[in-house]
Amino acid sequence: MLKVCHLYPDLLNLYGDRGNVLAFTRRCSWRHIPVQVYQANLGDKIDFENFDFLFIGGGSDREQTLLAADLSRQVDSLKRAIEDGLVVLAICGGYQLLGQYYQMPDGRKIPGLGILDLHTHSGSKRLIGNVAVEIELAGKKIKVTGFENHGGKTFLNGVAPLGQVLSGNGNNGTDHQEGARYKNAFCSYLHGPLLPKNPALTDHMISLALERKGMDSTIVPLDDSFEEEANGKMLERLGVRR
Amino acid sequence: MRWIMVLLALWTARAAQRLSLTLGKGKGSSLPGMVALKIYPGILRWFAGQSRLGTVMVTGTNGKTTTNNMLAQIINSSGYKVLVNSEGANLITGVTTAFIRSANLWGKLDCDYAVLEVDEAAFPTVAARVHPDTVVVTNFFRDQLDRYGELDTTVGMVAQALNNLNGTKLVLNADDPLVAQLEQKSGLKAQYYGLDPGSETTHVGAETREAKFCPLCGALLNYKAYNYSQLGDFKCHGCGFERPQPHFRAHSMRQTGDLFQGEIDWQTRNFGLKIPARGVYNFYNALAAVSTAITFNVDPDTAAHALVSYAPAVGRMDRFDYQGKPVLLNLVKNPTGFNQALAALLNQDTLQDVLVAINDNAADGRDISWLWDVDFEVLEENQPRFNNFICTGKRAAEMAVRLKYAGVPAEKISIHNNTERAIDAAVSGGGKMTFLLATYTALWPVEAILAKKAKRVEGDAESMPSVS
Repeated sequence: MLKVCHLYPDLLNLYGDRGNVLAFTRRCSWRHIPVQVYQANLGDKIDFENFDFLFIGGGSDREQTLLAADLSRQVDSLKRAIEDGLVVLAICGGYQLLGQYYQMPDGRKIPGLGILDLHTHSGSKRLIGNVAVEIELAGKKIKVTGFENHGGKTFLNGVAPLGQVLSGNGNNGTDHQEGARYKNAFCSYLHGPLLPKNPALTDHMISLALERKGMDSTIVPLDDSFEEEANGKMLERLGVRR
Repeated sequence: MRWIMVLLALWTARAAQRLSLTLGKGKGSSLPGMVALKIYPGILRWFAGQSRLGTVMVTGTNGKTTTNNMLAQIINSSGYKVLVNSEGANLITGVTTAFIRSANLWGKLDCDYAVLEVDEAAFPTVAARVHPDTVVVTNFFRDQLDRYGELDTTVGMVAQALNNLNGTKLVLNADDPLVAQLEQKSGLKAQYYGLDPGSETTHVGAETREAKFCPLCGALLNYKAYNYSQLGDFKCHGCGFERPQPHFRAHSMRQTGDLFQGEIDWQTRNFGLKIPARGVYNFYNALAAVSTAITFNVDPDTAAHALVSYAPAVGRMDRFDYQGKPVLLNLVKNPTGFNQALAALLNQDTLQDVLVAINDNAADGRDISWLWDVDFEVLEENQPRFNNFICTGKRAAEMAVRLKYAGVPAEKISIHNNTERAIDAAVSGGGKMTFLLATYTALWPVEAILAKKAKRVEGDAESMPSVS
C-alpha cells in the first residue's frame, strides 16, 4: 500500500494542482498498486516518514504564511523524511517554502523551512506563460510542459535543477534552470498541473516510491496517447522538437 | 475646446466603425471606443456625466452580464430610458463604444440611467472616469488567473478603486465574504442582498472554495451553511466579521420545472420573485438586479414582474433542435460556472453526448489548469448516462486528459481538432440529447457552425445555467 500525503488541500489549491495527486493515485490504481490518500490539514500532526509520496502545492500569499507557521512546527520530521528518500513533489509556493528564505521587495527576509539550499527573491514582474523543460530521469531525457505563474525568482545554491528550460522562464528567467531536485524531492514552478500530462515523470516517482518501500518497482506501461498528444501539441506550439 | 475634442473623437470613432463593418472585421464592440479614447481620453467622463438619474456599474466574476441585463430590463420597464453596454464588451473600450453608439451627432445622450457591466480588472480605470452613482458587486471567484494575478490582487484593486470614490452607493452580495468586506474597505455605504441557505441550494464545488480565511484578519472562517462555493452564512471568530444582515433577504426558494422562485423580505414588505431559469446562481443575479432597482425607488412588485419574461443573452444557454434532438449550448469559463454546467448535465436522465471546446486565447485565460479545479469526478459514478465526450478546441487533448483522470473510461473520450467534425460527432451521436460546452473564444465558432446544422429554439432557452 502506497500512502500519499496531500498537504493542506484546503489551503494550497491554486491552479488545479490537486491534479498531481490525482495523476499519482490514478496511475497506481490502473496498475493495481494499492494506494491511499491522506489529506493533512492545518494543526494536524504529520509523521512524514510514514508516507510514500508527499505533495505540497502553492497558495496565495496569505495562505502561504499560515502554512509556513504550521509546517515549521514539524520541520524536523519532514527533513528526516526527505533525507531518507521520501518522494516529494513541491510546486510553486511549496517549492519556495522548502528553501532558505523569501526576500521581500523591502529587503526583509521571510525564513523558509531551510531544508533545501535555495532561496527566492520577490521579482518586479510576474513570470507567466507556457514552459517546456528537459529533464533527465534515470539516464533518459524527457521533455515536460506546463504553465508557470510566479512573482518570486528562485536561485539554487547547493542543489541540482530539475531540468533545463527549453522555452519559458523557469526559476528566474536568467539561468535557464527550472525547479530543483534533491534526493527524491522534486520541485517545480510548473502548473498545468505537472504530473497528468507528463506521465513519464509521474511513473518515475511511483517507481521511486515503490523502491523505497521495498516493493517491486517495475512499472507496467499504460496507454498514454491523450497525454502524449497534449504534451506534443504544446511542444510544437513552443517550437520545441518532440 | 473640450467640445471640439469630443466631436472629433466621436466622429472619427463612428467613421472607424463604419469602415470596419464594411470590411467585415468583427462586431465592432471595442474599436470605436478605442479610437475615441486615443483622440480624447476625457470622452468617457463627458458621456457618463450626462445620464440624468445615475450611472450604475456592475462588476464581479460571475453573473455580470445577466445581472446587468436584468437590471436594464427592470429600469426600462419602469418607464426610464436606459443605456447598456453590449454583452461581454466590458472593458474601457467596450463601455466607451456603448456611449458612442447612443450619442447623437453632437455628442449628447438622451438617457436616465447608464447601466454598465464592467470587468473586474478594468474596474479601477473605468470607475475613475465614470464616477458611478451605484456599484453592484456580485461575487469573486477565480477566473483567468494568469490575466489578473491571484484573486486577492483583483479584490484589492476593486477595493482600492471604491475607496477613491465619493458618495457612491454600494449594492453587495452579503453571502460572499470577499464582496461583503468592501463596505469596510471602501468606507462607502452599502445595501446588502443575500439568500438564506436552504434545500434548493447546492454544495457543488466545495473543493474550490475561494475564501477559507477572513479577508479582514486572516483567521479561519466558519460557515453555518453554504449556498455554493464560498457563498453562505459565514462568521470569523478572529475579528467578528460576519455575513451582514441582508436588506434584501431571499428565502423559501424552490425550482418548479423551468421556473425558479423564492420570496424576498425588504423592510416591512414581502414579495415573490420568479425567474424562467434554473439554478440558484441565476436567482442570485435576479436578486441583485431587483435589489438595485428598488434602491432607485422602483416598486418591488414592478421590479419582480419585469423578470418573469427575462430572456437570457445569446450564447449563454441556447437551445437548438437537431432532427428532433435537443441540443444545448453553454459558455464555461471558470470552475464555479463549469460545476454548475455539470450539475445541469446530471439533472438529465437521458443518454447524452457532450462536446467540450477549450481554447486558451487571452480572453479565455491562457492558463487552462483551472480545468483541474472543476469537479469532473462526479462523472465517474454517473457514466451510464453519457454516451461520448468529444473534446475540441486548441487544448482538446488536455481536456481529454482531464476527463480520463476524472475516471471517465478512455473509450468514451475522443479528440476532434476540427470543430465542425467535432460538432457533427456530438449532435449525431447515440445519445438522446447533446450538450455543447465552450470557453469564451470557442463559443462563437461553435455557435456559428451549430446554427447552420440545427434549428434555434426561441423562448425556451433557459434550462442551462447562465454563468456570466
